[in-house]
This record gives sequence, C-alpha cells and structure tokens, in this order.
Amino acid sequence: MTSNETRVITIERDVTATARMDAARFRETMTARGTLVVNLLSSPGSGKTTLLAETARFWGDQIRCGVLVGDIATDRDAQRLAPWLPAIQLTTGGACHLSLALVQQGWQQWEELPLDILFIENVGNLVCPSSHDLGEHVRVVLLATTEGDDKPAKYPKAFRTSDGLLITKTDLLPYLPFDVDVAAQDAREIRPDIEVIALSALQGQGLAQWCQFLQEQRRRHVGRRPANESADSTVNR
Amino acid sequence: MHEFALVRSLLSQVAQIVEADGGGSVQEIRVRCGPLAGVEPTLMREAFALLRRDSAFVEAELVIREEPLRARCRRCDQTFEPQRFRFRCPHCGSVDTITESGDAVMIESVVVGG
Ligand SMILES: Nc1nc2c(ncn2[C@@H]2O[C@H](COP(=O)(O)OP(=O)(O)OP(=O)(O)O)[C@@H](O)[C@H]2O)c(=O)[nH]1
Ligand SMILES: [Mg+2]
Ligand SMILES: [Zn+2]
Repeated sequence: MTSNETRVITIERDVTATARMDAARFRETMTARGTLVVNLLSSPGSGKTTLLAETARFWGDQIRCGVLVGDIATDRDAQRLAPWLPAIQLTTGGACHLSLALVQQGWQQWEELPLDILFIENVGNLVCPSSHDLGEHVRVVLLATTEGDDKPAKYPKAFRTSDGLLITKTDLLPYLPFDVDVAAQDAREIRPDIEVIALSALQGQGLAQWCQFLQEQRRRHVGRRPANESADSTVNR
Repeated sequence: MHEFALVRSLLSQVAQIVEADGGGSVQEIRVRCGPLAGVEPTLMREAFALLRRDSAFVEAELVIREEPLRARCRRCDQTFEPQRFRFRCPHCGSVDTITESGDAVMIESVVVGG
C-alpha cells in the first residue's frame, strides 16, 4: 500500500464533452429522419412565439413544422402556437435554459410525426441557453429593435454560437434609436459568417427571406427538399 | 446560472476517472475556463462549496485558472487574442478565424492522495 503519496491524474477534457456527444447523436438521428432542428434564442419578449406562428402561417401545409417550446412556468406559448402548428410545452421548473434531456422527452411524443422542421423555442434568456447544445442543426438568435443595437458585444456567446441573427420588430424602427447596420456589424465582428435578417412578424417584412433561409439550411444540413415543396413555393405567398 | 449543474457533472466525471485510476481521496480538482466558457468562476466556487459536502470530495479544493480567449486565423495561420470579442484577424484582416481556447470549461487534472 502506498499511503501518504499523492499522484496527479492528467485529464484535459471539456466538462461538457459527454453532453456534446449526446447532442451530436440526437442531431444525427434527426438528420437521418429528414428533420431540420432549429434552436431559437433571445431575451424575453423578443418575438420568438409570434415569429413561429407567422412562419407556420406563411407556409401553410407546404412545410411540416412542429415546435417544442420552453418556459420556466406555464404553457401559455404552446397554447398560443396550437392554432398554427403542433406544439409541445416544455417547462423547466425554474431552470434558465432548456436541456437536451427535456428536448428528447418532448420529442418522444412525436417520434411518429413526420416533420420537415422541428423548432425549439428556448427560454427567454440571452446567457445560459447559449452554453447548451440541444442537438440543433441551426441556432438563431433574435434581437428586437426595442432592445438596443449594442447587444451583440454585451452577450457575445449567444451571437458567437449562432448561425443566424434576426433583428425583429422592424415596424417599430421609426420610433427607436436603433440602427440595423450597427447591430449587424457588431454581430459580424463576433461571428463573421452570421446570416442577418431584419423582419417584422407583425407586418410581414422579411418573413419570406427568413423562410428561404430555413429552406437553404434544410437542404444543407438534411440534404432533402420537403415532401410538399414545389420548385417556386417560397416566393409570392 | 447553470453553474450548479456544471459542477455536479464535473464531480461525477472526476469520481469516475479517479475510480478507474485505482481510487483514492481527491485533494484538488484543477480546471481552467475562459471568457466564452459561459460560466462565472465565482458561482462555480459557490456551487462547489455546497456540492462537495455530500460527496466523496469533502477534502477537495477546486482550483480554477482563468485563461484568455485565443483564436487562429485560417488564412495566415497566426493566433491572436480577440479584444472585446472581435474575431477579425489583426494580422491580415481575415474574418475566417476559429476559436482555439477560452470557450470551454476544461478539466485539467486531479490530485489524489494515497
Ligand atoms: N411591434 C411588434 N411587436 C411584436 C412583433 N413580434 C412580436 N411582437 C410583440 O412582442 C411581444 C412579445 O412577443 P412574443 O412572441 O411573446 O416574444 P417571445 O420571445 O416568445 O417571449 P418569451 O417566450 O416570453 O421570451 C408581444 O406583445 C408581441 O405581440 C413585431 O414584429 N412587431
Ligand atoms: Mg415565447
Ligand atoms: Zn490572418
């Protein structure tokens, strides 16, 4: 027996390595099923739920979408979404972000449902959700014009890890000191290849561009066209 | 505020590693993290102080080393420390850069007593 001796075990491992592998496995499963997974994050009230309802309305039955919507408490968002698309509420019971385990629990209820796009509406919070891979193919951060154009550098991780930035509520621009180019530029310094789309879910500007972005992402990550999509289906709706 | 879950996961990983290495009492857990790790070292320490009480780690110290953010340019292959999270290469101006370190919590090593 070697008592009193100490030894050092060298590890050099990312503490989230296992969680990342689980997320990667879920992502592969979804790719194989032909479902694009999109994780939406933003601070509370930036317009995630409104955008999802309008996106589903825009597409009608052309693209089959479903949403797993996270909240700390209540199923209000799922209720709001239900008229437009299948929605399951995930309540975190106080936690500030969705976890992969919760997403997979929700998804289990839908294993048989053929979906072209699975949206995950994360809990309104620009900090914690950015550290959690939910097995999404695409991460999109929303920044409302009411929040100010200086936010990217203040919440760098959310912007660094996102593939798309949606500047929402552009119908309010006439009343606010918000410069879309400043916000976009700030975000691009942090994440140079971020796709920036300015839109108003309420009035419809930019919605077609957002839907086209999603279709491109779907082709890129899942490699198929939705079953119901015709060649020019994304324009003129 | 997910430091609690993170530290819990850290402790269970360390327990497994030490067990697989022949066991012993853990005296020190060394980790490092950077500005884009998404954790607050102070909150990690608080979480650790609470969680170690009911674990096999009552004796253990958590040592957190803070490291700077580092990125590498894919065009000129030089590394740099992004200032204020700006990832444009200061050497050649390219925006094609990747994060090398500072965006994760890394478990470096564990000191185990006999
Ligand atoms: N003017 C304007 N208001 C909008 C727009 N989109 C959403 N809103 C309003 O903003 C408020 C918040 O919108 P939600 O869709 O609930 O935002 P959310 O991000 O889902 O909020 P949480 O889930 O609570 O984080 C609501 O009162 C919406 O009507 C928009 O394009 N323009
Ligand atoms: Mg919502
Ligand atoms: Zn360079």
